[in-house]
Amino acid sequence: MGLPGELKRRIQMLFHREQFRRDLEEEMRLHLDLRRQQQLDRGLSPVEAARAAHLKFGNTTRIKERSLMAWGSETLESFFSDIVYGARALFRSPALTVVALLSLALGIGANTAIFSLLDAVLLRSLPVKDPQQLVLLGRGNSSGIGDNFVSTELYSYPFYRQLQQKNAVFSGVAAIFSMTDDVHGFVLNNEGESNTDSQLMHVNLVSGTYFPMLGVRAQLGRTLNEADDSSEGDHPVVVLSHGFWKRSLASDPNVLNRKIKLGTTIFTIVGVAHREFFGTSVGESPDMWVPMSMTKSVPPGWDAYNKNFVQSMNVIGRLKPDVSLAQATTNVNLLLQQITRGFSDAVLSQKNLNKLSKTHVPLTPMANGLSSIRQEFSEPLQILMAVVALVLLIACANIANLLLARSTARARELAVRQALGARRSRLIRQLLTESLVLALAGGMLGIGFAVVANRFLLRMVSDGFETLPLDIGLNLRLLGFTFAVTVTTAILFGTIPAFRATRLHLTDSLKDGRGPGGARAKNPLAKVLVVSQVALSLVLMVGAGLFLRSLVNLNHIDPGFNRENVLRLQVETDVTGYKEDDPRLNALFQQIESRVSALPGVKAASFSSFTFHEGSWSDAIFVSGMPNNENIEVHQNVVGNGYFDTMQIPLIAGRTFSTADTATSQRVAVISEHIAKTLFPPGNPVGHHFGLGDNKPEHDFEVIGIVKDAKFDSLQENSENVNYLSYLQRPWNFGDFEVRYSGDFSNISASVQQAIKSINHNVRISHVTTLDDQVARTVTNQRLVAQLSTFFGLLAVFLSAIGIYGLMSYVVSRRTNEIGIRMALGAARSNVSWLVLREILLLVAIGIAIGIPVALAADRLVANMLVGFKGADPVSLTAAVVLLLLVTSAAGYFPAKRASMVDPMEALRYE
Amino acid sequence: MSRDEIPPGTLYLLILKTLAVRKKLHGYEIAEFIEQQSEDVLQVEEGSLYPALQRMLMKGWVVAEWGVTAGNRRARYYTLTADGKKQLALELSKFQRIMGAVTKVVQPA
Repeated sequence: MGLPGELKRRIQMLFHREQFRRDLEEEMRLHLDLRRQQQLDRGLSPVEAARAAHLKFGNTTRIKERSLMAWGSETLESFFSDIVYGARALFRSPALTVVALLSLALGIGANTAIFSLLDAVLLRSLPVKDPQQLVLLGRGNSSGIGDNFVSTELYSYPFYRQLQQKNAVFSGVAAIFSMTDDVHGFVLNNEGESNTDSQLMHVNLVSGTYFPMLGVRAQLGRTLNEADDSSEGDHPVVVLSHGFWKRSLASDPNVLNRKIKLGTTIFTIVGVAHREFFGTSVGESPDMWVPMSMTKSVPPGWDAYNKNFVQSMNVIGRLKPDVSLAQATTNVNLLLQQITRGFSDAVLSQKNLNKLSKTHVPLTPMANGLSSIRQEFSEPLQILMAVVALVLLIACANIANLLLARSTARARELAVRQALGARRSRLIRQLLTESLVLALAGGMLGIGFAVVANRFLLRMVSDGFETLPLDIGLNLRLLGFTFAVTVTTAILFGTIPAFRATRLHLTDSLKDGRGPGGARAKNPLAKVLVVSQVALSLVLMVGAGLFLRSLVNLNHIDPGFNRENVLRLQVETDVTGYKEDDPRLNALFQQIESRVSALPGVKAASFSSFTFHEGSWSDAIFVSGMPNNENIEVHQNVVGNGYFDTMQIPLIAGRTFSTADTATSQRVAVISEHIAKTLFPPGNPVGHHFGLGDNKPEHDFEVIGIVKDAKFDSLQENSENVNYLSYLQRPWNFGDFEVRYSGDFSNISASVQQAIKSINHNVRISHVTTLDDQVARTVTNQRLVAQLSTFFGLLAVFLSAIGIYGLMSYVVSRRTNEIGIRMALGAARSNVSWLVLREILLLVAIGIAIGIPVALAADRLVANMLVGFKGADPVSLTAAVVLLLLVTSAAGYFPAKRASMVDPMEALRYE
Repeated sequence: MSRDEIPPGTLYLLILKTLAVRKKLHGYEIAEFIEQQSEDVLQVEEGSLYPALQRMLMKGWVVAEWGVTAGNRRARYYTLTADGKKQLALELSKFQRIMGAVTKVVQPA
């Protein structure tokens, strides 16, 4: 017998109810008519005939109902009436409903908001064809440009070409420049003129295979292809992202006639990429893609197209259908050896060969794309997800408690209904429906809350200049998640009260249900709920305490420079068209430095290639007479003469750069204390010489000074290997400009920008901020986790307080009688208060006792997020316990007070 | 002449059997057939046919289609399906088992 068939018929029935009713009525009418006719034929009067027919047929209304019931639509109808009834019941106790809805909205909303970020950063697949076939060479945690013999993360463009030809495991290979170039470019109109100011464009260089291999189509025009990437320098074409086309070109349908000017080169727009495609890196969506063949024309003009040993590309492959990851790994590693050795300019020294033979490239599935932010945010997001899940649990416990209390109040109603013959399952279904109505309403509010919270969250994790390009809008998957959470919530908080409320001793409840026995029976469950709320709140509070302390510790780390009172901005000189080694560029820099230094309120000013947390140029240094370890990377910072004054990095020995150090004098360097101690022979390193990178004669430097260690990349880093070079000796196409000032930031900022513009009107100034801000931004994560976990921790305590208040108010009202007797027998009011308070404190104490070991265990999970201390932190623990005790006692105070106000006469007369 | 209620649980059997014999009938005809065949002994509360028919439709034992009666009125005609025939066999053997048992109990030893 076909069960599926039966289900299908039932469902069809749902959609054709009216038709069904009409059919049934017609059928029954026919029956009655025929019967009446028969009776008439037998000679009965019309009235008698009709009566006989009806008598024989039975009650038509009831028969209709039973027929409908056969199709199970009764269940559905009662479901709707339950919803209406449930909504009415909720309106009847508005205070409870508001509290429940708010805590649900906050709980569900927070879960939705965090999940949407988690989804966008960690879970979602790239919007490309069969993303699960894509693999990345390496682990995907490196970007930049290097000149090593071999690297497992980044590859040279010629390597990609060779791999593409020789591999046997990929149906396609593509190379992506590992950084997006930020260029101030121009959108040109049909006449080739720009009628707008320049704008910041994020340009991604990719191989010609990129779009075809990913299977990404064009929304308009075409995407890039192999022909665009076939020879260097003569394919000035660009494909725009859908977002950029919409934003900056107002979705111009004639965009294919327009051009883009980057640096000094004019690019033809050949297409707009498909709407959903944002690139292959989550959290960076390029505005446009340019074939790698044009790399020299896109500022800053990386020269990497023909360099066998300049590694700057991420390489991705699409596995052939029947090839396993292991097979592909073997093939790629074999080719890595062959291709690297095979380059005509390979330096096959013993050292290099050793290094090569030890190199193993792992392949990483990249269905979810590359991401620089994934590593950074995955742990905080997971922690926050756990936190909000706990908050939701607490909210559930709270609502369960409130519903329990209310169902006691409704005991009589339910008892009456049961006595009148309602089945228990029917009542449970109705109570669950009410919970569902509550949860769904809360869920809808929660989605609204999540939409707002998301924007706020995204701003919190973004760098302050541009919002992270993450798609965290509402989507089907997210709504599915929220719906699942909502229904789970309803089941969690609704089930126990529903079963509890319908398990009645009918006669007791009908007898007003105020017997002391009835009260006892229902308390333990509510108490368990309160105890678990307290325990969970403690865990969250302790966690919040740890993250807060960790944040404070981070902010107290001495970076080695003075973060206060430094203005920093970026000066971009692409528009001047000067190359990096053009002497006019250095002259421009010097002019800017001296004019800005002379401004009132400015103490010092300097260019530098880096300040803090801006990536790095790292190279090994070779000190004569020391065993050279090329694995020790030293950050190289090219700076102006005023850099150390501007940053206030103290000089320990020797001198800093001066006007005497010029392009033609001996090349000099200032080293950090840590290098002096670890990489130089004992004694004073000033005067020592060392070689840089490839150790060629023209890269010989003399140490002229030692400065105190300063942090370079993050506050938490340990080794501060920094080597400073002068831009007068080692030209650099600068970005960073720092100004130490006193007085008002905005005044100084305006006058500095004015001064720069007065020297060269064309240079572009961007990213104006303070050094302090820049440093603070590197702890965004920690701040995010600390602030949110504190917020949720307090919310948890607040919810628990409501839970305790609710429970105790209920207990007091149940025990009015007992309290009355006690007072009549001479108990003092304070004794009565204590009686109630004692009960609360006992529950809280049990909750804390359970919570402490859980909190300690949870601490261990987050240990590597913490700075400045390890695991168990007595301060956070004590603070959490004290706060919890204070808040819960306050919550218990009012019911206790009310208990002491009981008038014995009133209480006794009551029953 | 006395009329008896039909034994509980046999309504399906009666309807199934009726349709097996007469192939295609509307509700009134089914009721008439049962009463006539039982020589007016079995009295169906005629209305109760309809919930039973609905349940049988849902289970897929019968199918219904609209047609026109001799008196030129629209009527819903029911016919047996393959599932319905199987069900008839099942109900029959169940009925015979029960009747056999009842007979054994009430027969004088």
